[in-house]
Amino acid sequence: MNLQRLFRPERIAVVGASATEGKLGYEAMANAVEFEGTVYPVNPSGEGEVFGEPFVESVTDIEETVDLALLAVPAHVVPDVVEECGEAGVGGAVIYAGGFAEAGGEGEELQDAVVAAADEHDVALLGPNTSGFVAPASNLLASFAGGVERLRPGGVTILAQSGGVAHQLAFSAHREGRGVATMVGLGNRANVGFEEAIPYFDSDPNTDAIVLHVEGTDDGRALLEACRESDTPVVAYKVGQADVGDFAESHTGALTGDHALYTAGFAQYGVPTVESTTELFDGGQALANSPEPDGANVGVVTAQAGPGIIIADRLQRAGATLPDLAADTQDEVGEILPGITYAENPVDTGRPMPEFGDVVEAVAEDEHVDAVLVYELFEEALGFPQETLDGLAERVDKPVLFATEGPVESMSGDLDALRAADVPVFTSPERGADAAAVLARYATLDDAAADEEVSADV
Amino acid sequence: MSEGPIAAAQADGRTTLTEAEAKSLLADAGIETPAFSVTADSDAAVDAAADIGFPVVVKVSSPSVTHKSEWAGGAGVAVGLDSAEAVRAAADAIFDAADARDIDADVLVEEARDVDAGTEVIVGGLRDPSFGPVVLTGLGGIFTEVYEDTSHRIAPIDAAEAREAIEELTAIELLEGYRGREPADVGALAEVVAAVGDLVDEHEAISEVDVNPVLATEEGAVALDALVVLGGE
Repeated sequence: MNLQRLFRPERIAVVGASATEGKLGYEAMANAVEFEGTVYPVNPSGEGEVFGEPFVESVTDIEETVDLALLAVPAHVVPDVVEECGEAGVGGAVIYAGGFAEAGGEGEELQDAVVAAADEHDVALLGPNTSGFVAPASNLLASFAGGVERLRPGGVTILAQSGGVAHQLAFSAHREGRGVATMVGLGNRANVGFEEAIPYFDSDPNTDAIVLHVEGTDDGRALLEACRESDTPVVAYKVGQADVGDFAESHTGALTGDHALYTAGFAQYGVPTVESTTELFDGGQALANSPEPDGANVGVVTAQAGPGIIIADRLQRAGATLPDLAADTQDEVGEILPGITYAENPVDTGRPMPEFGDVVEAVAEDEHVDAVLVYELFEEALGFPQETLDGLAERVDKPVLFATEGPVESMSGDLDALRAADVPVFTSPERGADAAAVLARYATLDDAAADEEVSADV
Repeated sequence: MSEGPIAAAQADGRTTLTEAEAKSLLADAGIETPAFSVTADSDAAVDAAADIGFPVVVKVSSPSVTHKSEWAGGAGVAVGLDSAEAVRAAADAIFDAADARDIDADVLVEEARDVDAGTEVIVGGLRDPSFGPVVLTGLGGIFTEVYEDTSHRIAPIDAAEAREAIEELTAIELLEGYRGREPADVGALAEVVAAVGDLVDEHEAISEVDVNPVLATEEGAVALDALVVLGGE
């Protein structure tokens, strides 16, 4: 199934578009018209215009071929509307309505009817039971949620089983000055699920990392295989730790939690897993904006010992290692800062100082280090080592993450500058450490998964 | 006879293999099992015991008996038998109990292993509705039941991956020779884990394999008991 017309359309129809403020068909239309391409409001009972676009009776009446239809219509008419879309040559449809497979019984039959109509005409369906998707770089707001027009472009694509979680992730990214490549709520995954969406976004030039929110899928193996095939880094957050009911009765089955299989499977197929939405996007952000790390060795540079200890502790517990720095690095650091507090790893400068950036650079250049995590409280008189950090990751070809804290009012300009330079920035020692640990686990798991592929071919 | 035990059970309309069938399947997959023989009368049981070498274990072998040790007031399993007389008595008891219950039963005579000489491990394989063939391992007893110290993999896996799964166990130190215990042959155990994964992967009829316990010693890993469940449909 080709998802290009669903996720990167040139022409859109909003079926069920409404001129009545507050209705789903109005909100969907209000968002859709931000799009740079053509948008057609479709409603047989619509009169005149909405947002300056004249109503059309049916998608089959539109002369140009529509790529994407946003279906702001009640569940019971969705099968007929999808059939019409298929006849009109529409390539993809977003079904916002609920009341399908998630409702059981008749809802399942309704969803089967929708899928049958879509499959017959090769229509890729997002949903049903989703709030849609958003691609900020092209102002493609295929979500009815308010505020999505504020989202900024970035390198992380969000594939969430729940539209609510997709928006939660996107809005929290926005609050922190980050952008998203595409934010997708998969909903019921009628015919576009993880295994279809992951390969599509793997080949999407705007996507540098993919983050997954997974509640449960009936083809876990296909999900894992899609992850392993992806060249774009993937991080996953599997929620829910309940046991699989079918297995609870058998002897070994009682020991086989569904969640344990997901966690083990993701690790086996090269995907680091996390335990919160915060960690998920932070990890995705670090992967999206960093060269791929070669291993799990993290060099830590801190201007304050306390946060440095938190970082050193948390990193190691999460599977990263803190190698001793090479002797010449330690000498170099000693020359930059004679009498430095601690120059092995973490390197602790004791306080922010003008030479801090030089220390960071020395550690980043250390051959024992696969990734660098810097922690420094913001000091108005010094600012951040902006010049050093700008482009450092590319120069040394390894991730360089920056964690900090300070008064928002005084540091926001400097933070924006770091983000503009694609430095992954985090606002607590724990978040910085967790993101660095995702990189470390990605590096080691990725190697293991690659080895396994090789041995499987032999 | 790799399809043999499965085909035999299917032909009988059974969804579980007997212990002997399950062990044949494991042995064909390269998993070490104690030497054993299935016999239809007490004389043959005595001969088998002499061939295998004392001490032996004698167990009821019948599709009608799934919980051998609880069957017939404990007659279903007799351990530590070190003479022909003891074997004959145990076999007679099984055949008498089977007659009394009007079921067909054979007797399984098996080489006895000293479970105190190693560490008991569980190795299980399942066909998961979402992931297909999966394999799990964990130390036996309270480590699985209380601490839920198990490690999972999506099958098939190679022995290196199986070894990683074993090394993830919290109780790995016990296998590696904690406080002067002899370290177990973790490599041999990993081969068992990988082989159980292969069994579930290769035989679609299998819905569950439960090798419990596998005795891990410094010399290797041997499957002391095994249950194989076939798909119901």
